[in-house]
Formats: sequence, structure tokens, C-alpha cells
Amino acid sequence: MMLPPLSFLPIFIDFNCIFSPDGRNFQVEYATKAVENGGTSIGIKCKDGIVLAVEKVVNSKLLVPGKNKKIQTIDRHVGVCYSGLIPDGRHLVNRGRDEAQSYKSLYKEPILVPSLIDRLGIYVQNYTCYNSVRPFGVSAIVGGIDDNGPHLYMIEPSGVYWGYNGAATGKGRQAAKSELEKLDLPNLTTREAVKEAAKIIYAAHESNKDKDFELEISWINYEDTKGRHESIPEELLKEAIEYAAAQSDEEESSDEEMEE
Amino acid sequence: MNGITVDIEHLKKGEVSLGTSIMAVTFKDGVILGADSRTTTGAYIANRVTDKLTQVHDTIFCCRSGSAADTQAITDVVRYHLQMYTAQNGKPTTKIAASLFQELCYTNKDHLTAGIICAGYDEKKKGSVYSIPIGGSIHQQDYAIAGSGSTFIYGYCNKNFKKNMTKDETVNFIKTSLSQAIKWDGSSGGVIRLVILTKDGIERLIFYPDEYQEA
Amino acid sequence: MNHDPFAWGRPLNETYGEYNYNIANASSVTSHRNPKMATQQPIVTGSSVLAIKFKDGVIMAADNLASYGSLARFDNVERLLQVGKDTIVGCSGDISDFQKIERLLDDLEIEDGYDIENYELKANHIHEYLSRVFYNRRSKMDPLWNSCLVGGFDADSGEPFLKYVDLLGVTYGADSLATGFGSHLAIPLLRKKLDSDDAVKNLTEEEGIKLISECMKVLYYRDARSLDKYSLAIIKKDDVKLIKGLRCEDMSWRFASGIRGYGN
Repeated sequence: MMLPPLSFLPIFIDFNCIFSPDGRNFQVEYATKAVENGGTSIGIKCKDGIVLAVEKVVNSKLLVPGKNKKIQTIDRHVGVCYSGLIPDGRHLVNRGRDEAQSYKSLYKEPILVPSLIDRLGIYVQNYTCYNSVRPFGVSAIVGGIDDNGPHLYMIEPSGVYWGYNGAATGKGRQAAKSELEKLDLPNLTTREAVKEAAKIIYAAHESNKDKDFELEISWINYEDTKGRHESIPEELLKEAIEYAAAQSDEEESSDEEMEE
Repeated sequence: MNGITVDIEHLKKGEVSLGTSIMAVTFKDGVILGADSRTTTGAYIANRVTDKLTQVHDTIFCCRSGSAADTQAITDVVRYHLQMYTAQNGKPTTKIAASLFQELCYTNKDHLTAGIICAGYDEKKKGSVYSIPIGGSIHQQDYAIAGSGSTFIYGYCNKNFKKNMTKDETVNFIKTSLSQAIKWDGSSGGVIRLVILTKDGIERLIFYPDEYQEA
Repeated sequence: MNHDPFAWGRPLNETYGEYNYNIANASSVTSHRNPKMATQQPIVTGSSVLAIKFKDGVIMAADNLASYGSLARFDNVERLLQVGKDTIVGCSGDISDFQKIERLLDDLEIEDGYDIENYELKANHIHEYLSRVFYNRRSKMDPLWNSCLVGGFDADSGEPFLKYVDLLGVTYGADSLATGFGSHLAIPLLRKKLDSDDAVKNLTEEEGIKLISECMKVLYYRDARSLDKYSLAIIKKDDVKLIKGLRCEDMSWRFASGIRGYGN
């Protein structure tokens, strides 16, 4: 994105509540920058549920492997992963939990995923309207199952949200998106999608190769998790990683062939 | 507490009460609600043609018993909440309407005398019936009866209710049940009003004493 | 209407009789004797809950009746509630308050699930939580009108766990417990069988079920607010079986034909 040199513009266009002369909100665009530097997150909508996966960049060798989960639960039936500033994401998740609780305390039913996302969208948008606050530095992929089946959405720093069959955000989003487009969505099963998700995260990591990462996958489906958002079982994760490794080997060798 | 007299005694003196016979019954195509039309102040009939079947949403109704003032106030609040729900989340189910009644009756139980049956038709669950007696618990049932007159027809209804009845069978079941309740309960009387909720919407029926009383 | 400034708007005593504050002893009544009264009395009620420890865990039972005074108002109410993986809460007393407890425990379970890795709620946590809720509410003079049994496993020792908690926040534990009428009628029978730690260690599932169902039968004979239809929960490690719609069997009524007159 081309940003005008600061000296060229009056300082105040940098304020969150004020448009630039050409109609942009720079704070939101800077927040998007923060997202674009974060580890890749993806979400896949399947016929029987949702799969979420993140590339968790490991900043220190002292961190305990397999702990410090990045994917979070908003309600039993709703999971979320995000790229960008982790504390901002945590705050957004807390807000989501409050919204889910308040809906449930009134209507005695789990919140519908579209209703949750609508409330979160309003909340995020509010942080683009006042110069005393800054927008959220995250794009959050929210997936869940309710009475109307699986839903997958992504909320961006501007507060806008769209529904997706496959969503990707973060540093490797371009690679991830082109991989997602190759899949037959949303006709995959969650079991198949877990493997594809692993493959996509590994492929997306190519753009971030100098850093170590851990793969984290969660899912929601009817058969295995009974509509709950849970981490995938240990064995399935292992299986998925093996699949991802095998696939990338294959591609490397086919690349070599093409070079010949 | 001495049995079922408790709700009647709970009224303040001079308060208008729906000493009532009300019921709601699920059937093949949906649900039918029924009620008598008597409202009393002590032994005086304050209104002999009351409509105790109150709409809270397109195809969700409730039958009111207990204090007329309390149940009207509750129903108004529920109707507001359902409008709000529709605007924010789309069509409410009968369960959501019933849960709203339940929440209001439970949290304000110290101040309310309200026994409510919430019944409705929605695309997913078809006809459904929820009973919310005073105290504010909630009970889903195939059919529900309530009000002072209902005590006289527990046995009759239990023996004669069948699942998946036709519309005519159900109308007859309600008509005979309520006519017996009206006959033996001094606080019930007047006409029998019915509301039929199906995928086709709302249909109202009314039966006059000369029609439902046996010869 | 009364126009006396101290009773303005009230119905006239001459016309309607004196207002009886005892009729509606709710919080709106300002009586010099009661600083504040919130919850009044249970209305729709459930009767006894029974539970025993056995070799592999806990067995609990409660009938399916919700009474409205002496009226058997609802005959299909489930009073045993599963929480977490292997805990059962059985509730007697006010059903609307029981449903409130159901909602509180559901919220607790959801919060527990925020830690995506493990669902760690065990019976002793749930029992402690309930005792705090009950005590809090009784201290606000607004009790939840229930007595509950919590059965499952202790988080630390992994041993079978069985404890009682009630509307005052009173708690105690034992190898055999009961609420309501059951504490009069069933406990002597249960204690006769479970008279030592060894008796618990040696009690098999079949023997336990037989003991409990025998007590449910006695309760049906002698508790006027009971029903012969009940649910039974068998709680073993990470495995709960909730059997619904059981009936009291092999009842003894035939001897009635030999009884004539007042008896001597």
C-alpha cells in the first residue's frame, strides 16, 4: 500500500476519527499492516463442521512445545484464530465470550454464529471511530456450528466481516488462499480438511521460512466432537503433519522435474 | 404451602384474577391453544368475554392465568423482546419465547402471580408447548393444562390425549376438556376460545355455552 | 380507596377487610419483624435423592415427579444432572431453582472449556462451587430452595466422591446419603448394608443398583410426594450411565387382601 509522506499532509489525518482527504482511515490501514506480519491463520468450512489452523511462530526455544495455545474458544460451539497482535485478539475473544454469555442468559440457548459475528463486528468497528483508541490489530477467523449448520467468518480491523468457505489471513495468506481455492469447499469432511489445513500451513510457512513454527489445529464437527470446539487429537495431528510433509516433498520433486 | 390454593391466596384483596381454565395441545399439523373467558374479582365476574390467548409473535401465543395485571405486563415485555430478537437474529422459536417468559417469571417470582402456557409453531420443531407455573420453572410437554379449573380435568386429559391427533380430534379434545373444567370450576366460564397455529398461520375458533355444554 | 396519607391507595379496610401480610409474604411487604424477605417457599418441588458409593464409583437415583403442593403436577422431570465428564448432581426441592442451578453449572462448564486443552471439572470442584452459591444466596436472605447430592470422583485422590449441600450452604459427606424423605426412610436401610469402608470397597455395581432400587420402592410406599418412575445414574471413572424411565418392580401389595377391619 502507498502511504503519503507525513510531511506532505497535515498531522491530524493520522487520527483514527478523521478521514484523510482521499477518504481513507490510515489507522485502520496501519492495523492491517500489523495483521499482515502475523503468523498465518486459516479456517475451512466443511459439510460436517469447521477446521481452524494456525502457524504458531515460536519466538524462543525455551517455550514449552505444544503449550501456549493460540486458537481459542468463545463458546462450546465457536472457535476463533487470528493473525496480528495477540493481546488484541485475546481482548476480542473476551468480548466474544461476554456476548455469548449475555445472549445465553437471555434466550437460554447458545448464541447463533451469525449473531455473534454481528456483535463482534459492531464492537471492532467502534474502535475505528474515536481518536482516543486504536483499531484492533487482528483479523480474526471465527468458526462455529449452530442449528443452521457450520458457519465461517473473518473479521478485519475495520470491523467488516464476510462469510467464507475458506478463509486465510496473516503473512502467508496469499499462498494459503491459492491452496484453499484448489479444494472442493465446502464438500470436504472435517477429517479430510484437517490434513489439507496442515498442508496449507506448511506451504504458507515458506514465506516465513527463517522462523521456527508449530502447527496448531482445532475442529468442530458432529461426529467426533459432538458440536464442541476442541483441539484435534494427538494422533490426528501427527497424521496431518506426515501428510503435509509428504505432499511438500512431492511438490519439491515435481518442481525439480520442471527445472530439468 | 397447602396444595393448589396457594396461587389464589397470593392475590392481594381486590385484585383482578384469571381464575382460569387454559390448555395447549400439540397435534399432527401444529398446536392448538384453548381458554375460557371468565375474569373475576372475588365472586364478581369482571369480564365474561375475556381473551386469554395472547399473541407474542407471528405464530407464538400464550395462555395467561393468575393475576391479569401481572400476566399482561409479562406478555408485553416478552412481545418486546421477541420483536428485538427478530430484528437482530431472525425468527424466534417457541422455545426462545418460552425461555423469555421463564426468565421473567423466575427473576421476579417474589412479585408475580402468573401461570403461563407458551405454545407456538415454528419451522424446525413444528408445534410445541411449554408450561411455566408460578415459581418460574419451565416444562416442555406434549400438552399442558393450567389454571384453577385444570385440577378437575387432570384425569380426563391424561386418559384421552393421544399424540399426532387430527385437527378435528384435537379441537374436540380441548372442547370437552374445557367444558368439564368450566362446569366444575366456579372461577371458569363464558365462551371457549381456541387458537390454531400451523404452517398456514393463525386460525381462531369460538364456542358458545349452548354449543359446548352437553345436552 | 383509602385516602389516609399513611395508607394512601390501599383498598379500604371497611370494604375489603384488613390486609393480611401473611398471605403474600414477599419482599414488597415491609414488616417491622422482617428486614427483608426474598424467597418465600418452594412451589413446584421434587422429592428425595438417594446415593451410595460402591466399589467403582457412585450410584444415584431420583424419581421423575414434580409436585405442586399435593398435586402430582409433572411426571417426567429429570432431577439428575450430568456435569463435566463424570459428575452427577441430584437435586430435591424447588424445581425452578434447580433449573437455575442447571444454568449456573452449564455456564461453569463453558468457562471451564475456555481452556481448550482439558475439561477438568470434577465432583469436588462442583460441590465446592455449589456450596458457595447456596451460602451466598442464603446470606442475601434469598436462598435457592434445594438440597443436592454431588457424586463423582475427587480430583486429587481419584477416589469416589459423594457429598451433600443444601439451601443454607450446609455440607457433609458419607458413603450413603439421601435428601428429603429419603434421609428418614432410606438412610437406615443404606447404612445397614454400607456399615464400613470395607463394605463399600466390596459392593458391586449389581448389589448397589439392587440396594438403591429397593430404597426407591420403600420411598414409593411411604413418601406421599413420590413416584414409581425414576432415573438411575451409575458413575464410574470417565463413564456415566444415566438410565431413565425405570419403574419400581416386585412391589408387595397382595397382603392387603388379608387385612380386614382396623387390625389388632
